[in-house]
Amino acid sequence: MSHDSHHAPVASKLDLAPERSDLGLIRPDRKTGWADWLTTVDHKKIGIMYGAFAMFFFLVGGLEALAIRTQLARPDNDFVTARMYNQLFTMHGTTMIFLGVMPLSAAFFNFLVPLQIGARDVAFPRLNAFSLWTFVAGAFVLNSSWLFEFGHLAGWFNNFSWYKSLVYTDFAPANGWFSYAPLSGTVGQADAALHAPRFTGVGTDFWIIGIQILGVASLAASFNFICTIINMRAKGMTMMRLPVFTWMTLVTSALIILAFPAITVALIELMFDRQFGANFFNPSAGGQPILWQHLFWIFGHPEVYILVLPAMGIVSEILPTFSGKALFGYPIIVFSGAVIGFLGFAVWSHHMFTTGLGAVPTAAFALLTMAIAVPTGVKIFNWLGTIWGGKIRFTPPMVLALGFIWMFMCGGFSGVMHSSAPADAQQQDSYFVIAHFHYVLLGGVLLGLMAGLYFWFPKIFGRMPNAGVAYLASGLVILGFNLAFGPMHYLGLAGQPRRTHTYHAGNGWETWNFVATIGAFILGIGVFLAFANLVWTAFKGKKCGSDPWDGRTLEWSLSSPVAEYNFAQSPVIAARDAYFEDKHGGRRIAYENDGGEAGVHMPSQSWMPLVAGFGFLMIGLGMPMLSMGVPHIGWLVIAGLTVMFIGIWLWALEGPGGYMLKTPAVGSTPSAPAHQTATTH
Amino acid sequence: MSQVSEPAHAPTSTGIEHKKLIMWLFLASDCMFFGTLISTHLLYRKLYPTGFTDAEGHQRFIQNLFNIELTSFSTFILLMSSFLMALAVSAMHKGQIKSFRRNVLGVIFFGLIFLGCQVFEFTHFFHQGLTIQNSVFGSTFYVLTGTHGTHVAIGILWLILLYFYSFTGKLGGHVGALDVEVAGLYWHFVDIVWIIIFTAVYLVEYLGPSGFWGTGLPLTK
Repeated sequence: MSHDSHHAPVASKLDLAPERSDLGLIRPDRKTGWADWLTTVDHKKIGIMYGAFAMFFFLVGGLEALAIRTQLARPDNDFVTARMYNQLFTMHGTTMIFLGVMPLSAAFFNFLVPLQIGARDVAFPRLNAFSLWTFVAGAFVLNSSWLFEFGHLAGWFNNFSWYKSLVYTDFAPANGWFSYAPLSGTVGQADAALHAPRFTGVGTDFWIIGIQILGVASLAASFNFICTIINMRAKGMTMMRLPVFTWMTLVTSALIILAFPAITVALIELMFDRQFGANFFNPSAGGQPILWQHLFWIFGHPEVYILVLPAMGIVSEILPTFSGKALFGYPIIVFSGAVIGFLGFAVWSHHMFTTGLGAVPTAAFALLTMAIAVPTGVKIFNWLGTIWGGKIRFTPPMVLALGFIWMFMCGGFSGVMHSSAPADAQQQDSYFVIAHFHYVLLGGVLLGLMAGLYFWFPKIFGRMPNAGVAYLASGLVILGFNLAFGPMHYLGLAGQPRRTHTYHAGNGWETWNFVATIGAFILGIGVFLAFANLVWTAFKGKKCGSDPWDGRTLEWSLSSPVAEYNFAQSPVIAARDAYFEDKHGGRRIAYENDGGEAGVHMPSQSWMPLVAGFGFLMIGLGMPMLSMGVPHIGWLVIAGLTVMFIGIWLWALEGPGGYMLKTPAVGSTPSAPAHQTATTH
Repeated sequence: MSQVSEPAHAPTSTGIEHKKLIMWLFLASDCMFFGTLISTHLLYRKLYPTGFTDAEGHQRFIQNLFNIELTSFSTFILLMSSFLMALAVSAMHKGQIKSFRRNVLGVIFFGLIFLGCQVFEFTHFFHQGLTIQNSVFGSTFYVLTGTHGTHVAIGILWLILLYFYSFTGKLGGHVGALDVEVAGLYWHFVDIVWIIIFTAVYLVEYLGPSGFWGTGLPLTK
């Protein structure tokens, strides 16, 4: 049986006959070409794809931001219409959060977590591929709304009867990234087709189903990562020896699995309102739009920590490396991360201070919000303690990580200002809030993620990014960012409202809006330069050794790029900062001979995660078109459900498969992947 | 019977199998999911204690709508299906594949009875004038219990697939027992959620002569 032959150890998978799954189908096992990327279950390749998609959508969201800033550069501007402006800021926020930051964090989770805990893959490799393709499906669904919007503007649909019967024609989402009801919902009685009158066009339906699909992707990935971190640690890798990035991945994943159900239910309820005439948020039938706000922010506030905790984990790896010191106060940093995650569930109503919650809840949420500054402050002091007295090397990742601390603190300070409910009542819906959360999300999260990209890129591709360009890009990003968002503090306190497509001259806002626009373009150039440098490095960069930074954690003990099996032999960990201790301390990493004659078990590739993800794509495109009234389109939704079911069913039936790979002995070929060794035989 | 291939994986750090752990994580997430749905229902029930208005404009009370005898019966059936599921898991651990098949058929049968009762109930309520469109109660009731019904239907589909898979001879050994146990965890969870829904949505309407929400009708019609 072919299945058994794959359990005789080989030096390279290319030595094997094509493997048959339990269904009798030949499994994909090409090691090169597009089919390999579409069917891979290798966490490193999946991580690279997450990163590539995320960087692409960062640029898309960035272009949307630049269009917004161009519109606001001068008073009474008409660069875009008010309608287009609504779509731009909605898609900018949604894209940056769900298609930029979260997948870029997921790229790091994927690439690093198994390496940092001494594992050969995640617990469920095919589920991991499913998360990636479902994310891609959701991203495509959300952005396909722009295609419909373009078709609408170009007049493609003019002859269709369904198009003529549309009341609202905003095809891209236009409700803001929070889609507050009742604006996103319905009002009045449903008609015979179960459609109640709505306030917005089908853009909202694209948003609902797109976020729902992205939620599936995030949930599946989070189950996988918690399972991996808890269950697949190498011997000796106790929880309190885990690298801080892995710890923050664990906390973030826990937040995702507990916070996303709230938005899932809220989206289901909103979908029932819009598609089937239900009354969850329909004010004329007794529905309470405020419930949407509660459900959204019960998800939405933990989401803020879902965005920032991975960046905090990255910075906690970079600062010790370039300070030449161990992380100051490791246990309290881990504990603070967990406390931030826990408190993150208890502060959602500070987004709703102006809705009239009553004195007691407002006071309670204000206090809890202030309390969350404590563990955050603890982390910042510990990072300062880490670099204090260290031999600091100002490499590009270190510069960006130091920028993170500085900028994130600025965002934190204005955050503490918001936590005071009376002050918040003045700042609500003003540019001050924009300034605050961009300092946290851009000055904090983006700088942290960029630091991580420049830190781990040599590990991922074995090539060193150009340092000169990196310094220039970092400088432009930090300069442009402060020019763009610093003035918004002033603009907000001077009364400029959010989400308003233009403003009149004479309010004293002209100068700083113009400065902010210039800053935004400098920022855009900086981010583009930083990303272009990375893309160039991936293909043409100068090759570097496996440990160019004198790294501390396990991934630096491996070759660059990392071999497909990660660890030729499983490490046995003796200390926190295991590899640094191994190099410079007394406690060496031992290796178990589990990769010897028997070989190590490698999972087989599969088409099924892609098929299931494609089913989600069909559902995601079908549902909004159903809402448009396109005839017979319900069949697309049913076909999508069928494809998804068949994908998952065959996935279960094909079996995990797998083959045994002989790995070289530790130390014999430190920088050559196994198959290169094999070809010399 | 072909040999069941079990690649030698390293034992997990905690000793808990990956599949079991991930199912517990999913169930934790599903707790929040149902928690949110049940909260929505209870919030609106407290806000609008008097029930709903049907198509003819008559005020309707929930006690007069519900058929508590039927729902109690279907709840009992679902509870008993959990008992059979436990027997099926136990049989699988002992390698008694025939006993597993018998018990899992029982679970499927009981699950279908439960779903049948729900279909009957939905049809009955619809004819009584409760729709998803005409009231907040209709929206929360149908979406909450319907979502639970969807969970039951997925569980039944899963068990049917496992039942037929057992005839291929590939469902066996430790891996097979684990697969059945994980399906069992899901089934028990869906059952427990129903106990909560049955209490929070149905039984509280009968607490005291005018119902928990204070303005129901007396039990005598």
